[in-house]
Amino acid sequence: MHDARARRMARRKVTPPEEELVTYADAEPSAFASMLGGLIEANVKSRPEKQGDFDRLVARVGIWVTDIDEGVTLDFKGGKLVVHNGLAAKRTLTIRAEAETVMSLSNLKIGPLGLPVYFDETGRGVAGKLLRRKLQIDGLLPNLLTLNAVTRVFSVQ
Amino acid sequence: MAIKAFSDEWAGAFKDEVNKSAVYKNAGKGWKWTVGLVVEAEPNKHFPESKGVVMDLFDGSARDIHMGSAADAQKCDFVITAPYTRWKEVATKQLDATKGMLQGKLKLKGDLPTIVRYTKASQEMTECTTRVPVEWPDEK
Repeated sequence: MHDARARRMARRKVTPPEEELVTYADAEPSAFASMLGGLIEANVKSRPEKQGDFDRLVARVGIWVTDIDEGVTLDFKGGKLVVHNGLAAKRTLTIRAEAETVMSLSNLKIGPLGLPVYFDETGRGVAGKLLRRKLQIDGLLPNLLTLNAVTRVFSVQ
Repeated sequence: MAIKAFSDEWAGAFKDEVNKSAVYKNAGKGWKWTVGLVVEAEPNKHFPESKGVVMDLFDGSARDIHMGSAADAQKCDFVITAPYTRWKEVATKQLDATKGMLQGKLKLKGDLPTIVRYTKASQEMTECTTRVPVEWPDEK
């Protein structure tokens, strides 16, 4: 039997609840995990130019802060990010550096062609630490494009 | 001469140090938000009531820094909260503020990309606190 009310219901526009871009693998995310997850979420939501990279990025990136002995794994899943406390297995890239250097990475400017700028003060500092092995990136050579995409998503500049 | 920690006189001396800093003047260019530091009470350290440091920072200078209640500090655009002992560790260079935030020893509320963009300015603010000679209530 035809029910006119049902048709009206079907036409009603339903707004899906906003999906979370960033979730946490652990019941109690560490302060560092919350900070990086919050930073990336705020970056992607407030800067539309970062959305494309975030949507395409599929990689597991470990970040280990050597002077506080804490780390996280950022598991980018193409438009979603799951943040793990500590270093999880099967990482594409692992960045190891002191806290100050990790903050410098998020302050790298993005230049033409979407490449991080290594010739200003912050960029020179990061490049110098890479050369002196105060910044170590495991898996860098085969994943250079991934690193550039992660840097674009991560950068607040 | 040492100044009583988190007193009005201390806030004034801290403001003077910030405004004397060429590093802060440069690193803080473009900053236009208020910052509140909540210093949580620790009665066993002779710091019986929570206090707030309310900072009106603008474009590389401190327009005003004054003491208020914790609630006053919590109204600011950016709020950093920690117990008295932690702030003492920061002001005596035993704890780096950036590391403290990453470890959750200092709790930050506010827009993260903005505060990260001004990491150098916040590091210099910390340096300015270390230049003020302080009389700590738990060392009397």
